[in-house]
Amino acid sequence: MLKEGMIALLILLPSIALVGYFVYASIGWNVIVSLTDWNTLKPSYNIIGFSHYAEILQDSTFWISFQNNLLLILLFVPSSILLGLFLAILLDNKVKGEGVFRTIYLLPFSLSFVITASLWAWMYDPSVGVINTLLQGIGLGFLKSGWVTDSGIAMYCIILALVWQFSGYTMLIFLAGIRSIPESQVMAAEVDGAHGFGLYRRVIIPQLKSSTLATFVILMVFALKAFDFIYILTFGGPGYSTFVLPLDMFRETFTMNHFAYGAAIATVLFVVVMAIVVPYLYTSSRRREA
Amino acid sequence: MKLPSPTRVLLYIVLILIAFLIVLPFWAGITTSLKTSIDVIYTIPVEPPPSPTFGPWMDALEVMGRPLLNSLTFTIFATIFSCIIGSINGYALSKIRFKGSDIVFMFFSLGIFIPYQTVLIPLVLTMSKLGLYNTLGALVLAHTAYGIPICTLIFRNFYKEIPDSLVMAAKTDGAGTWKIYRSILLPLSAAAFVVAGVLQFTSIWDDFLFGLILARGSEALPASVALANLRGTTTANWNVQMAGALWFALPVVIVYLVLGKYLIKGYMAGAVKG
Repeated sequence: MLKEGMIALLILLPSIALVGYFVYASIGWNVIVSLTDWNTLKPSYNIIGFSHYAEILQDSTFWISFQNNLLLILLFVPSSILLGLFLAILLDNKVKGEGVFRTIYLLPFSLSFVITASLWAWMYDPSVGVINTLLQGIGLGFLKSGWVTDSGIAMYCIILALVWQFSGYTMLIFLAGIRSIPESQVMAAEVDGAHGFGLYRRVIIPQLKSSTLATFVILMVFALKAFDFIYILTFGGPGYSTFVLPLDMFRETFTMNHFAYGAAIATVLFVVVMAIVVPYLYTSSRRREA
Repeated sequence: MKLPSPTRVLLYIVLILIAFLIVLPFWAGITTSLKTSIDVIYTIPVEPPPSPTFGPWMDALEVMGRPLLNSLTFTIFATIFSCIIGSINGYALSKIRFKGSDIVFMFFSLGIFIPYQTVLIPLVLTMSKLGLYNTLGALVLAHTAYGIPICTLIFRNFYKEIPDSLVMAAKTDGAGTWKIYRSILLPLSAAAFVVAGVLQFTSIWDDFLFGLILARGSEALPASVALANLRGTTTANWNVQMAGALWFALPVVIVYLVLGKYLIKGYMAGAVKG
């Protein structure tokens, strides 16, 4: 028995080393960098303590970024979940060509953010872009807008595009959740007189708790990590109106060479993400054992 | 669960309307990519091109050709490596009982969720020390290492479904650890390899962040970063930009249409953790 355990550990050792180094040791290293005075191109490793974290609290760009991450959590996450749930319920009605609809709805999610951001840049382009010329063409020219070039609504434009990209994914998870409910339960409820959307509200949706929780956690983590799409579509602009924490971290680190300060922002981001993920992994692993 | 008939008509109208909204950006991208620069300005984007041309596709390929080959190279290598490693790990974590296997599994699982921003600075420093900075090797190593957690998860869950009795029977016949993996689990793993492989291929191909910090402006430039650069330099040339985006989308769209069933399983593995 012991011998087998040794073999298993030997098999796992290279991966434990790789993940240990690239994930765990690197996180630790990042924290150490955040405690130094390394804020020029020349690496310097004098530990100066937590002063960068104190600086963060005074940094308005950090707080704008943080607010935008919160906005993503409050608006992008529930919108994607509701639209996904809605699509899943629609598709659960013995729809002809369900596969075709599913394939179309999920397509944006499979593509790189670099692609979807390029497509949406063209959609939102104020001068000759898709939305404004379409509005003009159908006589709704008064609705034309600067979209992502208007700092007042740029963040909402990003959220709309991200909902477009993610709803297929949430639909997929909910559809699998709905399909895993035993047929007998649905039939029993139908015998009791539940039908149509009443059936969903009373019988099916309450059983989607674990799908909903998983989706919430995954999308919330994404809302905190969101980077590629915003980097390409607006790079945080106009002004700082669409800055998010990962973008703030990237700019401080790789364009301004404030390595220690960037590391401090990354550490804050890490703590916030883990505050969501660790309780989730803990409860879901306990539920599995129960 | 059949709805009455007028409701069903409404159902299909809503489904088609949403499908239309999902497709719109792609449609506008495709039509624009086939237009001359003048037509881009003087036609509505969703209109079919009055005089279709592959010019923008050729122009985009000139910039994206090498980066597309780079992406293909590191994506294939990192996909193969992470799947093989994931398979072996999955075996050790599902079919060999040992103290601490849950802890090792948790150790890997947490790696799926970390925000990569937290490791960017150490990653750049590490790759520089290894002499891999600005090479395809850096991208292969990074994508392999960060791909291990999700691949391990997929294979572990897959092997858990294979009855232990098969392993027990082989053990009583005197088969060793390696033999059991080679002759029993590996031959049954084709589906898991496709699921993990397709998931890894698309997510590594789609990646932007690692390419941006590890191989920006180098011979190893990935297609994602090249496409972002194309947007930065030729803001006005929407047709070339759209053509570039579509070149970059092509491999994933093909994988999605041919192996979508497996890709969906991969997405679910990340969502419903077993």
